Amino acid sequence: MEKTIIKHIENELAVEVIEDGLEASDDLLGSGIVDSLGMMKLVSFIEEQFTIEVAPEEMVIDNFMTVKNICEYIKTKL
Amino acid sequence: MLYNLVQIIEQSAKAFPNKGAFRYMEDSITYKELDIKSNQLAHYLITRGVKKGDRVGILMHRCLETSIAIYGILKSGAAYVPIDPFLPNERIKFLINDCDIKHLVSTDKQSKKIRKILLSKHNLETIIGLSDSQNIKTISWKRVYESLLEDYISVDILSDDLSYILYTSGSTGLPKGIMHTHASALAFAKLVVDLYGFKHTDIIANSAPLHFDVSILGYCSAPLASATTVIISDAHLKFPISLAELTEREKVTIWYSVPLLLIELLHKGDIQNKDFSNMRWVLFAGEAFATKQLRALMQLWPHAEFSNIYGPTELNQCTYYNLKVPPKTDNPIPIGTTWKNTEYKILDDKDNVVEPGEEGLLVVRSATMMKGYWNNKALTEASLYKYKIAEGFEHVYYRTGDLVKLNSNNELLFLGRKDSQIKLRGFRIEIGEIENILLNYQGVTEAAVIVTDIAKDKSLVATILTDGASEVSEDNLTVHCKNNLPIYAVPKQILILKSFPRTSSGKINRREIASMIKSSN
Repeated sequence: MEKTIIKHIENELAVEVIEDGLEASDDLLGSGIVDSLGMMKLVSFIEEQFTIEVAPEEMVIDNFMTVKNICEYIKTKL
Repeated sequence: MLYNLVQIIEQSAKAFPNKGAFRYMEDSITYKELDIKSNQLAHYLITRGVKKGDRVGILMHRCLETSIAIYGILKSGAAYVPIDPFLPNERIKFLINDCDIKHLVSTDKQSKKIRKILLSKHNLETIIGLSDSQNIKTISWKRVYESLLEDYISVDILSDDLSYILYTSGSTGLPKGIMHTHASALAFAKLVVDLYGFKHTDIIANSAPLHFDVSILGYCSAPLASATTVIISDAHLKFPISLAELTEREKVTIWYSVPLLLIELLHKGDIQNKDFSNMRWVLFAGEAFATKQLRALMQLWPHAEFSNIYGPTELNQCTYYNLKVPPKTDNPIPIGTTWKNTEYKILDDKDNVVEPGEEGLLVVRSATMMKGYWNNKALTEASLYKYKIAEGFEHVYYRTGDLVKLNSNNELLFLGRKDSQIKLRGFRIEIGEIENILLNYQGVTEAAVIVTDIAKDKSLVATILTDGASEVSEDNLTVHCKNNLPIYAVPKQILILKSFPRTSSGKINRREIASMIKSSN
């Protein structure tokens, strides 16, 4: 799960090329790895890939700060 | 008597030493701490050779240290130059070279970025705020804070000295640096405190990055009133629910942002179920606030007053239109009237004052006006309208380039930009600049960038023609744009066309392209 998301961010969503690769604990939001639009795309990707539905009230920082957070969040939905 | 920005912090540190000056997430800094830490930074900068008139860069994401960086640099006598860390490296290098920045104040989060910047030729001498060692002199924040307070000898800063340079896009394809003095910035800070009645009990939400002039309110006006500024994190700006929770938790009393952020709060922030009873002023600027959306928000927050603020970065703010009750019709709301210490004229193409109610170009004379554009005297001169009173004495106005007219209540209505410069989500974008970048790409022969609605969202669409011989793909062009433009100026769509519709004089017919795109989306 972690690898799939990391790969998708690196290849499709990152604003700039991430040279040393993305790590699961990297801050996606504060460091500008993905912008607002990228975040929206990431949410749709997760919804499709893991066949879950991200409710509007779950669209919060704590669930999306890092790839690790995202995985933990997805696991609660599976 | 206050005559420079540095005195703002000194004054508040005396009056309210233990009051929070800035807050960011779980961190905060009191006025006394800010005064001390900015002295320590100033001291260090001075030991590195910084002197009055120098420019010191700030390369930071939103964080608490931004406040120390601003006031530390100012206390060293230098002007601060904010550099957006989200800019492509080429742009960052351009800014550093353009105003000859030798010292950069930053944080560990920018370490990777700085390493890349240092790879190519540069004149940088020091990076402040890095814990790791790099191919240059660095010092960590911890070490800066170890310096002895008695070592700092204050610099005598005049109101005419430079305080900051803000870079915006320029029509030649290169950004231009707007220079403000302590006088123009302080005039702005004072006028805001006066107009909106800022008090020391106020809590101001700052969503703007330092390179956007909206930030001056949170970083200068709020401290002038000894109020507290909450610096909103980059993360909160991406999640309206989290943003709404933060605003509620911080008991924000004064909000200032572009309309887009308020619209997101309105639609996605679940604000109906939260308590915003402390909110007393909602200020917005940068773009027009769609009246329907504004009304919906005002109905949810009936206790707050709203203010539409207008003013190009060259003038800080210059007009306002306050609303106590929601607008009745869907007509665009006025930009209102000029505030104190400010006057204006509306001119025709030949610089004659137009009749009341007629359309014309707005020129403004104000204490909040810039000193000029950095290292560009010709551009500065071209931006000014001088009204001669007598030989050797004239009133100097800034040409906003904005088309306005007066309504029957003597309020100014904003009609649009005279040239192709546009504003998108508060960011100033020069169409010509994007086209120039596209034209730089091997094989692109012509380019026309237009603004259109994609799924009800105002977006940039680039259309280009190619020479037919080179390999040009839409994806490669997007990458090229991302590498050379700020992200907000990167076109959402790039279309390779076979030909452009033309006007009778052979010019590209942009209106036609716009309607083509509209019908295909």
